[in-house]
Amino acid sequence: MIEAHNVTKKFHDGSQALKKVSFLIERGEFVFFVGHSGAGKSTLFKMFIKELVPTSGTLKVFGREVSSLRGKQVSVLRRNIGIVFQDFRLLEEKTLYDNIAFAMRAAGATPKEMKKVIPQVLEQVGLKNKIFSKVGELSGGELQRVGIARAISNRPNMIVADEPTGNLDPKTSMEIINLLRSINIKGTTVLVATHDQHIVDELKKRVIYLENGQLVGDEAKGAYARVL
Amino acid sequence: MFFRNMIFFIAESWKNLFRNGWMSIASIGVVAVTLFILSVFVLVNLNVHHITEEVKDDIEIALYIDEEAGGEERNQLLEKLRNHPDIAEFEFISKEEGLERLREQMGEEAGLLEGYDNPEENPLRDSYEISTSIPEQVPQVAGELETYPAVGSVEYGSEVVENLFSFTRVLQITVMALMVALALTATFLISHTIRLTMMLRKREIMIMKYVGATNWFIRWPFLFEGFNLGVLGTVLPLAGIYFGYQSVLEWIEGNLPFIPPLVSHEAAMWEVSHVVVPLGVVLGILGSAISIGRYLKV
Repeated sequence: MIEAHNVTKKFHDGSQALKKVSFLIERGEFVFFVGHSGAGKSTLFKMFIKELVPTSGTLKVFGREVSSLRGKQVSVLRRNIGIVFQDFRLLEEKTLYDNIAFAMRAAGATPKEMKKVIPQVLEQVGLKNKIFSKVGELSGGELQRVGIARAISNRPNMIVADEPTGNLDPKTSMEIINLLRSINIKGTTVLVATHDQHIVDELKKRVIYLENGQLVGDEAKGAYARVL
Repeated sequence: MFFRNMIFFIAESWKNLFRNGWMSIASIGVVAVTLFILSVFVLVNLNVHHITEEVKDDIEIALYIDEEAGGEERNQLLEKLRNHPDIAEFEFISKEEGLERLREQMGEEAGLLEGYDNPEENPLRDSYEISTSIPEQVPQVAGELETYPAVGSVEYGSEVVENLFSFTRVLQITVMALMVALALTATFLISHTIRLTMMLRKREIMIMKYVGATNWFIRWPFLFEGFNLGVLGTVLPLAGIYFGYQSVLEWIEGNLPFIPPLVSHEAAMWEVSHVVVPLGVVLGILGSAISIGRYLKV
């Protein structure tokens, strides 16, 4: 599903965010990316959706070299990846329904599809009863649930979550991770970048360790504290 | 799919227009003022052109035949006039006819001409009244005619004609320059309004990009918003010209009867709307396109 080979990223200011990072992620995996701030996790996640491109090395997502994708191919790639943000990135003045409909419409869904899918995904995240509430009325945990509902609304093959629990308390964080786990069990690949030791240790899933832009470890059932 | 999206984009563009209420009003206002000034210039230009055309049609060359020219030379002259490519028509005016015309023109004063009826006493000369195919060719053709046989002198009111032509040229250049300057101002303002919309919708644009919206899905509402601003900006000037020009025509008719008839209200509206509406649309879309290109990295 993702094949990274010697992926390197240098920015114009001369800083190097990634240095020869290589790994392989198969369909249906649940993978944590851990490391300090500036370790290169976000840079790598941005490359998965072609927000950034490697300076050298190759990065294949769904079998296609990301750097070679142009225009509509990038849109197609992004429709296959659901993104969950630390700061939720929801439209506060809109309802839950409208937030998800907005994303689905942008990805090319029909009104009929929206009417069918939105209640389903909100039920999946436990918020069906708030379908017409304004986003501004929700708690932090609920906001992230809406973010996840939006990410899965276009039936992506992969979910990419960059610090999804960064703004949440431990109990709510665990609920969010369990939600992502339940999505993963149904076959969707889930990649989570995190600082949250508790959830990594609790889930005992594959962990890729990044340090100063380098991949320093990759364990099938890892714990947060391996190298940090 | 395409039509459903288009309806959505148009709805979005109207929402944006109201969301940025004051900025939209400012943009529409400037476009309206710009197009109104432009419309006034179009009208002035149109009327000057109209009057010039009227005057131009009256511009003729008077060719006076040399009294000493014989029949042979006169025939040669006639032949040359017939074959000249730039001469549209000509008419021979004998000196008797000339005298008759002069008498008509003088009206009550015609008594002064008494005694000239005798051909020996008639001070006038035989002449040709010549009009060219294109009025602007009058000076050049007149110069050429002077070299022909049997020609005594050639007159065409050279100063009036040349001044008229140069005035029309200057006016047209001024109008063009003003049009460009005003159009640039309007484009700049529209582009600014659209940029503001983009800043207000930054979050939405970012989300759209992340969920895989195509570039055109993001661009269309902004293009429509520019289009809306441009079209709305044409409504006020057209209304202003519609009512204003009618009043001007009535006022001139009542107070300045010596001014030749101006372009009719219908014809003026037709001409002005042909310039203003497409220009408003183009300015709107252009202003929007500039912002999209510069600030919307999709």
